[in-house]
Amino acid sequence: MFLARAEIVSNVWKIVAREGDQVGAGDVLAVLESMKMEIPLVAQQGGHVSKILVELGQIVQEGDPIMEIDETASA
Amino acid sequence: MSKLDHPAVVEAAAPADQREVLTQRRTARFARVDPKGKRVYTARERAEMLVDEGSFVEMTPMRSAGAGAGSGVVAGWGTTDGHSVVVVSHDAAVASGAIGAVMAESIQKAQRFAIDKGYPIVYINDSGGARIHDGIFALHGCGGIFALNIEAQSRIPQISLILGPCAGAAAYSPALTDWTVMVKEQGQMFLTGPDIVKAATGEDASAEDIGGSALHTRVSGVAHLEVDSEEEAFDATRLLLSFLPTHKGGKQKRHDSVPANPHAAAALPTLVPEKSSIVFDMNKLLDGVLDNGARLELMPTHAPSILTLFARIDGHAVGVLANQPNARGGILDSKASVKAARFVEFCGRFDLPVLTFVDVPGFLPGTVEEGRGVITHGAKLLKAYVDTKSPKLTVVVRKSYGGAYIAMGSASLGAHANWAWSGSEIAVMGPGGAVALLHRRALKEAEEPTVLRDELAAVYREEVARPYLAAEAGIVDDVIHPEETRDRMIGALRMLTHGSGE
Repeated sequence: MFLARAEIVSNVWKIVAREGDQVGAGDVLAVLESMKMEIPLVAQQGGHVSKILVELGQIVQEGDPIMEIDETASA
Repeated sequence: MSKLDHPAVVEAAAPADQREVLTQRRTARFARVDPKGKRVYTARERAEMLVDEGSFVEMTPMRSAGAGAGSGVVAGWGTTDGHSVVVVSHDAAVASGAIGAVMAESIQKAQRFAIDKGYPIVYINDSGGARIHDGIFALHGCGGIFALNIEAQSRIPQISLILGPCAGAAAYSPALTDWTVMVKEQGQMFLTGPDIVKAATGEDASAEDIGGSALHTRVSGVAHLEVDSEEEAFDATRLLLSFLPTHKGGKQKRHDSVPANPHAAAALPTLVPEKSSIVFDMNKLLDGVLDNGARLELMPTHAPSILTLFARIDGHAVGVLANQPNARGGILDSKASVKAARFVEFCGRFDLPVLTFVDVPGFLPGTVEEGRGVITHGAKLLKAYVDTKSPKLTVVVRKSYGGAYIAMGSASLGAHANWAWSGSEIAVMGPGGAVALLHRRALKEAEEPTVLRDELAAVYREEVARPYLAAEAGIVDDVIHPEETRDRMIGALRMLTHGSGE
């Protein structure tokens, strides 16, 4: 289990992956908006999206968890 | 009986025996003493592996701290790619490489030689720090090493390799050098090791936790490159040295010009997304401009929103600084500013041209960054550019706003030549933010404020932010097509270096 975390203070612009999705390393999980830039949040490793921890439009700080991913469930 | 009549003295003076004594001493000195722990190579083998084959010469091989133990360090010189280099290699087989008075003296002798003769110095660090048994003499010796590290800064490049656990003085000396390379899961740097940390504060932490390469190349920025093996550390050092003159004012190592990667060059006009909020990989842009050849990126995993690398253009070794939109949108923050400032300052010190590629949304504002001292750190970047007298060439490839515009090698900081791509934007702030301020009242009263804001932003982008205003005012030299960048930079560099690359 690992957490995909925001790398910058931002607002949650798009949530791309859904709970239950299988994602691969490098897949875009969400898009965070900061400094008028659309910053993709990318999966560091593959796995199963077990929980989404934020809502659309929510303000997140650097380091805040965005999604919980179970890498042991990776296909 | 005079001294000469003494039978033992007469015997020892026999020439044949003296040759034998020396042979024995050399054999003893160069016998392979297996290093302790997981280490594969001895201090001497490391020094020999770093330099051109057969070129290493130890300066004072007989120097000993007593009991035939050697001095605790192998110090000497050799060549890399035929250029002289001084090497200091801690001998972890002698008291864990702890720095005693004699070892410190041997290191200082090598440092003094490198400084006076103008050769780069590479420190292969593998030492537990000051040797407790030598007491205050060890501390005095370590202080002397630091003082020479600092004296060397204005004279020669200094590179530190961390090949074992380095505590205290053995971690501080690298911090006074230019570039530090750590071997993953083998090298550590810390003030004191886990046991003393536990005793001092109660914290339970492993050597990797408090001083591993994961910490220092990602979070702290204390080290600048992480490699998987000692061999890779030596390769990286030779590559790094290939871009640098042997000393300040020394000849730049110019190669033959190599064209840019043709695919990347062909893709330049369409590489940058038109919409300024969409990220892209700045490395692909650099591929289309720089010589297609060896590069060395420093601090790739620390503050990745800015790229700092050595590369070549038209065969000139150059320092390249570029915002990386693919990482945190390419913003400048405290860490990115410190990383960039350090790199620019280094280039200036050794007369390397600085090429700056700009696509920056601005300095990241907010409580966290202000708390980290972003103002002080950002100011360091301004100072580094102004202080740097080597050729400074800057190109704005998409957007450059506000204070970050100034900080990224602008004309006001002394860029010798600067350009903006035809599709770029240069303004005091991005169009969205600017119209929100300039048209606050109209937007407040509008029935559909977002529609009006977008309309006003589009007008602002075209009428205010496009680079023609800056070009007409002489703030950028010219507006260019992306595919013209390489030739413009080469032309400027030839002019600024009198065609010589010096």
